[in-house]
Formats: sequence, structure tokens, C-alpha cells
Amino acid sequence: MKNYILIFLIIFSFSSLQASEVSEWFEEESNQFLEIMNNNEGTESENYERYKYFINKNFAVKSIAYGLIGDNIIGNSSQNDLTLYLDVFTDYLIKTIYKLAKSNSSSSIVLKDVDIKNDIYIIKSEISDKNSSANLYWKVINTGKSYKIIDVIVENTSYFVTKKSEFNKILRKNRGSLEALIIEIQKI
Amino acid sequence: MKKHLKAILLIISISFLQINSSYSNEDVNVSSISYDEIYDPIEPINRAVLNFNFFIDDIAIRPIVKTYKFIAPEPVEKGVSNFFSNLKEPIRTISFIFQGEFYKSFNSIGRFTINTFTSLGTFDLASRVGMEKNETDFGITLAKGGVSSGPYIVLPIIGPSNLRDLSGDVVEYFVDPISNNVPNREYITIGDGLNERAEIDEQLDRVREASSDRYEMIKSIYYQNRNAQLEEEYIQNLPVPKIYIE
Repeated sequence: MKNYILIFLIIFSFSSLQASEVSEWFEEESNQFLEIMNNNEGTESENYERYKYFINKNFAVKSIAYGLIGDNIIGNSSQNDLTLYLDVFTDYLIKTIYKLAKSNSSSSIVLKDVDIKNDIYIIKSEISDKNSSANLYWKVINTGKSYKIIDVIVENTSYFVTKKSEFNKILRKNRGSLEALIIEIQKI
Repeated sequence: MKKHLKAILLIISISFLQINSSYSNEDVNVSSISYDEIYDPIEPINRAVLNFNFFIDDIAIRPIVKTYKFIAPEPVEKGVSNFFSNLKEPIRTISFIFQGEFYKSFNSIGRFTINTFTSLGTFDLASRVGMEKNETDFGITLAKGGVSSGPYIVLPIIGPSNLRDLSGDVVEYFVDPISNNVPNREYITIGDGLNERAEIDEQLDRVREASSDRYEMIKSIYYQNRNAQLEEEYIQNLPVPKIYIE
């Protein structure tokens, strides 16, 4: 019985430590995001570069990009096409977040809760400005070196799920052609 | 009344025809669908209707909504939104009874009583005293009863739905104690519709801007939101990408 209690305590302390580590990372990075978001100085290209740095540092871009097209397409595409797709998608992700942030001015992102399921941290936060607030969930993985975001869920809408539906449709329409998808993404 | 009853029975029968045998199990996971393969057999028609809806929205609804959002201060918008939401509490009460959620049903009718008597529903005092709003409708009731969603449908003007949710809406139309007992219910319906449109104004602008295929995007968002109302661990169960070394 004592052993069970000991094991339970070790597991409990370990997950508490993990949760507190990821919370610290989140507080730091969300503050930095708000700083970039609310920074009205600097030129358009300077601000864009700041977002680019932030996204490359904190998002698991390759996992998201590859996850959106699936293993079959990855297996059937050339390395050149995959590299080009990754570049185009990264640019698209940065532009999406940049546009989204530009049309909103947020005063706070408050961490509400951290949950862990299958080695994925689910961070619940609330983003608010003076008029309204929204629930924002972040799915985060620990890569060993740092934490990386694999999905953002605003209220109930997941970025990953929504984009996957869109990308799958384009791929199905074009018989799995990654080149066609790249052209479509570039058009947006 | 007999005519109404017939219509309700017909709709319920159609919906129950959609019952998926795998949902008869008690450990039902009513919303475990693949988001990539939503049942959409009338996609060409749906796409045409969506284009028509965007056309109507562009020329008529959007300008009204933009003007309203420009003129009305935030508290007025909130008050209007609360007013229409409060009118739905009685039908939520009935839906919760059918779902066997008696505490939530009691909560809904309590909220309606408090908010109506204190501010005609324009201010959500009930939430301040711990009676939080719980969203539900007859579509959710049917889903919890094991009815599968059926085909995805885009309705003219109204927007995305599916056979199950549409059936739920029709049932609500006939049994809603509020709208059935007020004169000129069409004004309430139009006002509620415009209010709901105003609430998603920013999201719709984003769909217009950031989507390669707005039809797919709207369909996916619609199903995600409905599933969130059905599934307790919805966020945890959402699909995630396979991890690649960055």
C-alpha cells in the first residue's frame, strides 16, 4: 500500500512540475505575443518579421503542415514539393496570424488551466479586450528542447481541423496533387 | 393543431429513420465523426445555396449589420443579444426535460424568470447569481437520443444545418411557448436572425478573407461547434497532427 502511495506521489509531483513548467513558458510567450500585437511602432515589414520569429519559435510548423496533408500525400510527393509546400504554408500561417492580430487589439491573455492528455498539454486561456472575451485553447507538445504549439482552438473551432477539411477538399479535387494545393494556398 | 401534430410526427419519423445502428450502444459517442468525411450528398446544391446566401448577405444583410454595429454601443448590442437569448430559455427548458437534464431545465426556467422580471431579458442578472446559461436545442436532444446527423444542408438565408438539426428547428417552431404566444412572431424571428448574424460578423469576415474554400470552412466550423455541444471532452478529443522533428 505504501508503495502505491509513493508511486502516486511521484507521478503526481512529476505532472505538477510539468504543468508548472509549461505554464511558465505560456505566460512568457503570451506576454511576448501581446507585446508584438499591441506594438504600433515600427514599419509593416518590421512587425511582420516579429510575427515570423514568434511563430517559427513557438509553433510546430512542420508537424501542422504535414498533418494537414497526411501520410499518403507526403509519401507520394517529391522532397522539392514538400520543401516548397512547407515554405508556402509557413508564410500562409504567419500572414493569417498577422492579419488576425492586426484586426484585434487585445489587452490580456489569462491562463486558466493546464491539462495533459497523451503527452499533449491542453492550455486553457481567456483572451479579452475591453469589450469582449473568448476562450482560447492551445495544444502544446514538449520537443525536449522547447514547447511547441500544434493547434489553437478559438472557442470551439480548431485551426488544425478546419484547415485539414479545406486542404483535403483541394487535394481530393486535384487527385492528390500537392502542387495544386501549393498554388491554392498562394492565391489566398 | 392536428395539422401541427402531423407535421411534428412526420419530422420525428424522418429523423429516426436516420438512426445509426452503432449508436444503439449505451457507450454512445454521438459525435465521433471524421471531420474530413462529413456526409454531404447534395454538395453542388449546398454550394449554390451558400453562394446565394453570400450574395444576399453582401447586398442586404451585411450593410444592415455593419450599420447596426457602427451605431449601437457595445452595451446596447449586448442587451439585444441577451434579450433574444432570454426568449429561448423556455424552449431550452423543454429540451433539457427531454434530455433528462432536470437540473439544467430548472436552471433555464429560473434564468428566464429572473432575467425577464428584472430587465425584460436585456441584462443577464441570473449569471451574476450563479445561474449560468446552458445552450441546447431540439437538434441536440435528437442527437442525445441517438439520431445521427444525416446529410449536411445549407438552407437559403438561414445557413448551415443538417437533417437532424433542421428537424429540431421545425419541432421548436411548433412547440416554442414564447414565439407561439406572441403576436407578429415573424418580427422576433427576423430580429433574432439579424442578431445572430451580427454576433458572427467578425468570424464571417475572416471566412471571406482567409479561406481557400469558404464552403468547406463553414461546414467544418458548423460541425465542430455542434460537436462541442454534444461531447464532454470535445477539446481533448479533437484530432491532432502527427509529430515531426522540427
